[in-house]
Amino acid sequence: MFYELAQSLTSGLLIGSALAVLSVGFSMAWGITHVLNVAHCAFAVLAAYLGYWSLARWGIDPLLVLPVLLPLFFMFGVAMHTLLIRATARRAHDLGLATMVLTFGLGVVMENGMQLAWAPDPRVLKTAYSSLTFSAGPLIVQAPHLVAFGLATVTISALYLFAERTFMGKAVRAVWQQPMGAALSGINLSRVTTIAYGLAVATSAVGGVAMSLLYTFDPATHLSWLVYVFLVVILGGVGSILGSALAGLIIGLIIGVSSVFVPLAWNNLVLFGLLIVLLLLRPQGLLQQ
Amino acid sequence: MRSAAPRLFALPSPDALIGIGLALVLTAVPLATPSAYVLSFLFMVFMYGALAGSWNIVGGYAGYLSFGHAAFFGLGAYTTALLLFYFGWSPFLTLPLAGVVAALFGALVGYPCLRLRGPYFSLVTLILGLAMYSLALNLPFTRGSTGLFLPFLKVDVYTSHVIFYEIMLALLIVVTAVLRQITRTKMGVGLAAIREDEDAAGTLGVNATRLKLQAFMLSAFLTGLVGGVYSYYKSHLDPSFVFATSISITIVLMALFGGRLTWYGPLVGAIVLSIINEALTTQAPPQTARIVFGALLIGVIMFLPDGLMSIMQRHLPAFIMRRAQHSAARDETA
Repeated sequence: MFYELAQSLTSGLLIGSALAVLSVGFSMAWGITHVLNVAHCAFAVLAAYLGYWSLARWGIDPLLVLPVLLPLFFMFGVAMHTLLIRATARRAHDLGLATMVLTFGLGVVMENGMQLAWAPDPRVLKTAYSSLTFSAGPLIVQAPHLVAFGLATVTISALYLFAERTFMGKAVRAVWQQPMGAALSGINLSRVTTIAYGLAVATSAVGGVAMSLLYTFDPATHLSWLVYVFLVVILGGVGSILGSALAGLIIGLIIGVSSVFVPLAWNNLVLFGLLIVLLLLRPQGLLQQ
Repeated sequence: MRSAAPRLFALPSPDALIGIGLALVLTAVPLATPSAYVLSFLFMVFMYGALAGSWNIVGGYAGYLSFGHAAFFGLGAYTTALLLFYFGWSPFLTLPLAGVVAALFGALVGYPCLRLRGPYFSLVTLILGLAMYSLALNLPFTRGSTGLFLPFLKVDVYTSHVIFYEIMLALLIVVTAVLRQITRTKMGVGLAAIREDEDAAGTLGVNATRLKLQAFMLSAFLTGLVGGVYSYYKSHLDPSFVFATSISITIVLMALFGGRLTWYGPLVGAIVLSIINEALTTQAPPQTARIVFGALLIGVIMFLPDGLMSIMQRHLPAFIMRRAQHSAARDETA
């Protein structure tokens, strides 16, 4: 029992890192640009598919495709922000709500577009290292979990350094904290917002590839991923990079623990219940002061 | 617009007359023995009309966009179906129970959830819909993903189509009447005030918590009734349909598309989108219809936040629209 728990906690922690990187962009977009992009995970699933096809068609590992996916998804984000979100923002009474409806529509279009293009069958990513395992003492760690953990660590650290150390990052944070003040200090609000949004969508590509290393996926998977993302973002606090990282790990641990004590079919219900309770008690996030 | 002397015999307003006339014509449609296909198509139009209308009480009037109304639809469907399945009680008798169960559940979840505003409320209702689906799959007595197979009505197929047609039409008329009546009561004004500025409404003496909960329960009640009829009509209760997120989204889209600030907007949305859906699904794979729906959702929120009715109001004869517009709760708060 103890061994089993330790094992699920380890894999839970590694899964949690993938959830963190999947969520960090959603959190950024919501916090900084006030866009609730419920199509975030549809983008992630798209990235998972592109990685899958590059491996299946040309034998190129999804990790090697990421350098192409990142700028591509950044452009998707920029295009989405300039073409769809700005027009909505001009008419919207409540931007969060309006963009939620808007991106819901986009998510439906993307999900069904992927179903038409690639069939609704679940896909399994079979990389060269899929069946590799490492043992640390009595614990067994699967290579894909480790790769996902590495991807998440690198991406989140990079984002954090970007936000703390670069001028653009500081501008993004300034816009988040005090849009008016930032504008008065000569920051181009709309440019910074668009770039932040592009970055947020770009991270969904990393999240999608990391998740595809751990789970099977199909076009409709994005809704269940979205539940994880909500959990992480609500727990970590909207807009916080480190909050997302920490909350991702916590949710991963909870998933790990509940996989030991709760029958598999009820796992989702545990998460739903947790999310509903969390939203009701502390919608501003548990890890936020 | 109050007339100087109170009138003893007020004529019904033109929009009500048109509505009553339309209802009478639709009730008489089965006399012309249309094909079963036409009847079942109209059944679906009425069903979505009733669902979008019920949703609009809380989503449109109060501005609390629920993305999980399938939870109430499914709950109503399961209530009548389980009672028929285990006890053999006819859904036509247990139908009120479907509404009551949905309304009680609405009270249970509405009380905490309605404290959340804007997107937070939408998120929690979306999750609620997903959770109800999971629950239906896993509870011991709901028979998992197979769902429940129900006996047919003991009449021939065509007659049963006619019966269900009339029942769904009656539900639609009830929902529409309720929706219209709300705009002429204090409740409608209160809900509109909550939508425009909830804090200000509170300071003006609107008991927002109570009013929102009442609206939510009423909306859940009516949605539950529609669900209660649906499972019997289909004679198979499929949890992946009655709790589907796509149902919740379709309802939202129909109400937004038609215009959620008026009582007839959701109905118009339901009619137009049902026709589009029917035309598309007979020509192309179901995904195409959903892609079009998604694109419409994007288009509506970008260019027509007040829905189709906001265009029609500019082009229909003034005498029809004047009263209707007046009854739209938005103007009463302006």
